[in-house]
Amino acid sequence: MSLEPPIDATILQRIAAGVATGQRWSGYHAAARVLEGIAPERVPDSIRARVAILGSFTLEPFLPVLRVEAARMGLWLEIYLAPYGQYLSELLDAGSGLYRFQPQVTFLAVDGDVLWNQRWTELPPLRSEAVVGGLLTPLFAGLDVFDRAGSGIVVVNDFVLPRRSTEGVNAFRRKGTFAHTIAHANKHLRLRLALREHTFLFPLADVVAQVGRHHAFNWRTHYRGHVTWSDGLMATVAQRYVGFALAVLGKATKCIVLDLDDTLWGGVLGEDGPDGIALGPQWPGSEFLDFQRELLDLQRQGILLAVCSKNNESEALAVLRTHPSMLIREEQLAAHRINWEDKATNVYSLARELNIGLDHMLLIDDNPHERAWVRQQIPELRVPDMPSDPSLFADWVGSLASLIVLQQTADDSQRTRQYREARTREAYRGSVGTVEEFLRGLGLRVGVQVVDEDSMGRVVQLLAKTNQFNLTSRRYDATTLRRQVTSGAWRVYTMRVADCFGDFGLTGVAIAAPGPDVWHLDSFLMSCRVIGKSVETALLARIAAEARGSGASALSAEFLDSGRNQVASTFLANHGFTRTEGDRWLRSLDAPGPQWPEWIEAVRSDVSETRSADRAGATR
Amino acid sequence: MDPAEIAPRVRDLLAQVMDVPPASVGPGFSSESTAAWTSLNHLMLISQLEDEFEVIFSNQEIRDLISFDRIVEAVGRRLDPRT
Repeated sequence: MSLEPPIDATILQRIAAGVATGQRWSGYHAAARVLEGIAPERVPDSIRARVAILGSFTLEPFLPVLRVEAARMGLWLEIYLAPYGQYLSELLDAGSGLYRFQPQVTFLAVDGDVLWNQRWTELPPLRSEAVVGGLLTPLFAGLDVFDRAGSGIVVVNDFVLPRRSTEGVNAFRRKGTFAHTIAHANKHLRLRLALREHTFLFPLADVVAQVGRHHAFNWRTHYRGHVTWSDGLMATVAQRYVGFALAVLGKATKCIVLDLDDTLWGGVLGEDGPDGIALGPQWPGSEFLDFQRELLDLQRQGILLAVCSKNNESEALAVLRTHPSMLIREEQLAAHRINWEDKATNVYSLARELNIGLDHMLLIDDNPHERAWVRQQIPELRVPDMPSDPSLFADWVGSLASLIVLQQTADDSQRTRQYREARTREAYRGSVGTVEEFLRGLGLRVGVQVVDEDSMGRVVQLLAKTNQFNLTSRRYDATTLRRQVTSGAWRVYTMRVADCFGDFGLTGVAIAAPGPDVWHLDSFLMSCRVIGKSVETALLARIAAEARGSGASALSAEFLDSGRNQVASTFLANHGFTRTEGDRWLRSLDAPGPQWPEWIEAVRSDVSETRSADRAGATR
Repeated sequence: MDPAEIAPRVRDLLAQVMDVPPASVGPGFSSESTAAWTSLNHLMLISQLEDEFEVIFSNQEIRDLISFDRIVEAVGRRLDPRT
């Protein structure tokens, strides 16, 4: 047990701040030694990530860069690096160090050299299929083993043309050229990865293009010691890798808070007027339209947009509602604060209304003074520096590591609508007297089902993202869930909720481990959107009924304090559980209850008419 | 570049790569006395020196540059317009 104080994200960020992004490797190396020197027991689980890296080239020098870029985002990494040249054998052997490490994210960094080199052992005419198959067949055999034996997600990069071609001006007419082989390999990689749900494609070719191929590869270190990535490429790849780790840990950004003047449009509304601001298909103004398009793309993936602006509300809303070129409309905003209060106060207020932690919000504001002020007031808020040139906004927003959405489910595209419904609901809450009166008037409908393939993606997402009403905060991937369900070790329950104002979708998950005498609640959680509606009682009542039906005499559960789940801390005591020892709680099923609340209508499956439409558009 | 500027910059780079305080890097500091001077760190050190001073070392130099003194001397030689 260490006597030194625990490490928090701010300490990690301070260490990383000593290294400018894109600085030379030696600076990263030195800062990483400081991070490596931190005793692991001082680092709380909430800021730890277990990351494995398998590569076909020398990646030791990449680790310090990854550590520092992770620290910049408030993460401390435990890293497993597969022995040099053994990425395939590690992947294929279910007993390898990789699987023993139980990573949350595994990065496969594979170069296309084999695609290139093999060409010189063959006589023309060359063909792409054989060489691509030679690379991808064992790779996917390895990923099959990972499906059974692995944990977390796998991120595999695409293949990059490393240098110019000497195959001549007629190369485009032939198959089997190097460019054709790379394109063929990438096409098959993409198609086959797309069929696997916890496997992701890392767009290395895109990152190399961003850095510039000439600067991305260091040929001297490549030939001297198989260190192929330049200092600059390592930094950019590391930032994107960290984005995946943040997402897996449930730390990705959930809401972007946007300024208006000189951010969503050019100019100052209060001075230039609605006809004078720069926004439209022609410059000046087209650069802001492109920026809005990128933001809407993020919104479609489930990231909320909100506005926080110093303006007269009626004037700004008029632009949002009626400006002919505005793409982000009032309906696309989950909430807005348009007033003359200071921005930190407004961001706090947005966080309260949306019920999203400040550390899951990101502020985009062109004004460096506002950014500095808000950063100082709310250290946990993400306030990235942004270019002063609006023509760079659209490209810049794509570089933000925390804007990664791993599971995109049917519920995501509905999320903004749900927050808007919540505002109507709050107005109604203010108009009625007692809590029970309020709940009765809501017309709540709840459907509890066991997980199926349709709901699996959303269940994994909720497990990963739910921080507040969550008894144990355990994160599981689909592979683990399927394995436990198939073996009969777990029953995984889903809860869908709707009321008279709208459909919340799948917003609750419980994992029960049925035993002959005691059913244990391994996990019990629900989205913050349905907190305060007594629906958790319904979910527990259903599980208790099934446990009784199977002959069990008690339910056991745990409450693990994550520092953020206080809202769930009284749940067990309020439902007849008593503490046995430590974090463990027990509830006898001989005593009656918990009762399904009489103001909630139990529905067999669909809580609303819209679900079939949801499913048609579901992406998993 | 003034030769007097070379030594402090080499010292800082060596300290960062070999994980030692800059004050402990000076004449006599070499791969023999430094545990962190692995072949991989040597490779990265050479490339950091090449970037820092905008020079490219020959294969022979890369093999020989295993002490502070030799590095300072080799960088000075590379940067000297008379050679």
